[in-house]
Amino acid sequence: MPKPDYQKAAEIVRDAGGRIVGRTRLQKVAYLLELAGFGEGFAFEYRHYGPYSENLTEAIVGADAFGLITEEERRTDWGGWYSTFDATPDAGRPEAGPRARFAAAAAAIDAVELELAATAAYLRAVEGCDDPWAETARRKPEKVGGGRLERAREAYRQLLALETARPLPPIA
Amino acid sequence: MRPPLKPQRVRDPVHNLIEFGTDLLEETMWRVIQTPPFQRLRRVRQLGFSELVYPGATHTRFAHSIGVFHTARRLMRIIERHIGDNRLQFQEAQARTALAAALVHDVGHGMFSHAFEEIGKALDLKMAHHEAVSDLLIRDSEIAEVLRVYGSGFADDVADVIKRGRPGNLYDAVVSSQFDADRLDYMRRDRLMSGVQNSGIDFEWLVANLEIGRVGAGVDETAVGEIDTFILGRKAHHAAETYVTALFQLYPTVYLHKTTRGAEKLFSAVMLRLVPLARDGDAARTGLADNHPLVRFAREPDDIARATALDDTVFWGALPMLAEAPDAGIALAAARLRERRLLKCVDVRARLGASLAGDRPADPAGWAALRRRVERLVIRVEQRLKEWNEANAGPFPRILVDKTARDPYKRFQDSKGPLNQIHIRGDGDRIHDMADHSAVVAALEPFHVFRAYIAGDDAGAREAVEKIMADEIDKAGKDDAEA
Repeated sequence: MPKPDYQKAAEIVRDAGGRIVGRTRLQKVAYLLELAGFGEGFAFEYRHYGPYSENLTEAIVGADAFGLITEEERRTDWGGWYSTFDATPDAGRPEAGPRARFAAAAAAIDAVELELAATAAYLRAVEGCDDPWAETARRKPEKVGGGRLERAREAYRQLLALETARPLPPIA
Repeated sequence: MRPPLKPQRVRDPVHNLIEFGTDLLEETMWRVIQTPPFQRLRRVRQLGFSELVYPGATHTRFAHSIGVFHTARRLMRIIERHIGDNRLQFQEAQARTALAAALVHDVGHGMFSHAFEEIGKALDLKMAHHEAVSDLLIRDSEIAEVLRVYGSGFADDVADVIKRGRPGNLYDAVVSSQFDADRLDYMRRDRLMSGVQNSGIDFEWLVANLEIGRVGAGVDETAVGEIDTFILGRKAHHAAETYVTALFQLYPTVYLHKTTRGAEKLFSAVMLRLVPLARDGDAARTGLADNHPLVRFAREPDDIARATALDDTVFWGALPMLAEAPDAGIALAAARLRERRLLKCVDVRARLGASLAGDRPADPAGWAALRRRVERLVIRVEQRLKEWNEANAGPFPRILVDKTARDPYKRFQDSKGPLNQIHIRGDGDRIHDMADHSAVVAALEPFHVFRAYIAGDDAGAREAVEKIMADEIDKAGKDDAEA
C-alpha cells in the first residue's frame, strides 16, 4: 500500500529536525524538497505566498489526526498568528541522510527569506523566468527590503551547496 | 484620435444604476467592457451549475465584474477621503491601476469557473487556470490595447496588481483585502440571484464605517512591517459579525450545495475522459467534430485562443453530441447533465460524525479530539472508496468523491495576516482582530465536505459505500475501546 499523504507530511516535519515553525515555512520546505528530488509527489501551484500545495495542507491535518505531529497556534508580535508543528515519536525515526540535512537547512532559514527563495526557484522551474529574483521582487515588493532579497539569495546558495537527489535550479 | 463617448448607464439588480462618465478612466473602462475578451464573460455564469438548484442564479461574470468596478469606485472614495484628511497626496496612477484591476480581475475565468479549474489541476492544463489566462489577456489582448491610452506599461501594472494578489499599497486594498470589491459584490449578487434569504450583509453600514488603519504584516513568526488597509470603525461590530457569518452560510447553502457539486462531478466525468481522448487522437469517441472548440482545446491546451474559445454555452451546446458519444462514460455523464438526472449524494462526513458524536463535548480538548477521530475516519474511508473504484470500473468512476473545506474566516493556508483578518477599531483606538472582538467570529469553524455521489440505480456502489462506512466506524470503535 502506498504511503499515505499524512505520513509523508509528518516525515517532512520529522526530517527537518522534528519541528517546523510556520505554515509558510512548512510549505516552502516541502516545495524545495520536491525540487531537490527528495519529495514524495505533493503538487504545488503559485499562490500569494509563493509555491503552495493544497494537498500538503490537507495532509498535515491528517498527520495531526493520526497523532504523527502536533500543531500549536501562537500569536505573533506583528498581530497575526503562526503554527508550530512538532513530530511525535509515531512519525517514525528521523532520516540521517541528505534529505534530512536539506530539510533541516531549509527549515532553519528565516520565513520571509525562505518564501522569497522558494518563489524564485518556482519562477525558474515552472515559469521559466530568466531573472527570477527580479520577478520575485516585483511580485513581493513589501518583503524584499532591508536586504532580505540578498539574504534569500545567499540562503538559496547554501542550499545549492548541499547534496541533492536532483539539481536545484541554478539561480544563485 | 478616438471620438469621445457619451456617458453610459447600466441597470444592475444589485446596484441599480451604474454610470460610466466621460473622464478618461471611466471612458477607458467602458471601452474595455466592449472588447471580445470582456464580452466573453457574458457567457460564463458566476455560479456555474448552481442554476440547477437555484433557477435564478443565471447571473454572469460580466455583470459581476461591472459590479466590482462600481463597488471599487466607492471604496476608492474612502481612500481619497482618508488621504485628504491627512493632507497627503492622492496617487492618481495607483488608484487608476487598482480600479482597472477591479474591472478585469475575472476576465480569465473559464467555463463553469472553478469546476474547470479542477479539471486543469487534474490534467495539468495551464490555460484552465484563470489567473494564467487573466494575466495574458490583460497584458496582451484587445484589453491591453485599450489600456494603452495610459501608456505602454499600464496594462502590465494592472496585471501585476492581480497577479500579486496582495496589497502592494493602500490603493490595492480595493482589490485585495477582506473588504475588497470582489467579495462585497459577489456576496450580495449571489444571494440576490440565488434567492436564498440567509447570508445578507449590511453593505451600506459596512461601507459607511470603513476606515483606513495601519496593521502589522508578516510571514509566520517574522514581521515585515506595517501596511495601510481597510479596517472597520467600532460601530460596525455587528455588521462585521454578519459579514463573516454570511459567508459561513453561503458555503453550505450555495457554493458547496450538494446538488451543484454533484453536477460539477458529472461535468468533471465528461471532461476527464474527453480531454485525454481528443488529445491522443481519438476525438471521434467523444462524439464531437474535429474542429469543435472542446476538441481543439484538448489538443492545444497551452494556446490561450483555444482556452478563451470555451465558455458555458459551448459546453451546453455540445451536450447533445456528447450524449451520443461512442465512449460510454462521456455519453452517460452528458445525458445525465442534459436531463438533470443527477447522482445521489451520500454525505459521508456527516454520517461518520454522527456515528461518533453524541452531544458536542463542552471542553475544547474534547471537541478537538472528536474532530481528530472524524478526520481519521474520513481518511480511512476515502482510501477504501478509492480502492473500491479501482477494482470496480464503470463507464466513469462509480463512486464520485467530493472532498473539500472552506473557512469563512480563519484561512488554514499559509500565514494569517492582513489579507485574511478583519480588523476593527476598539476602545482607545486600538485595532483588534475581529476574532478577538467577537465570540461569534471566534467560534466559526471551517465547513468540511466529504460526499460520495452514486447513480440511483447502482445498488452495488451504494452498498459498498454503506459497508465501508460501517466497517470503518466499527474499527474506530474497537480502536477507541483498546485505547
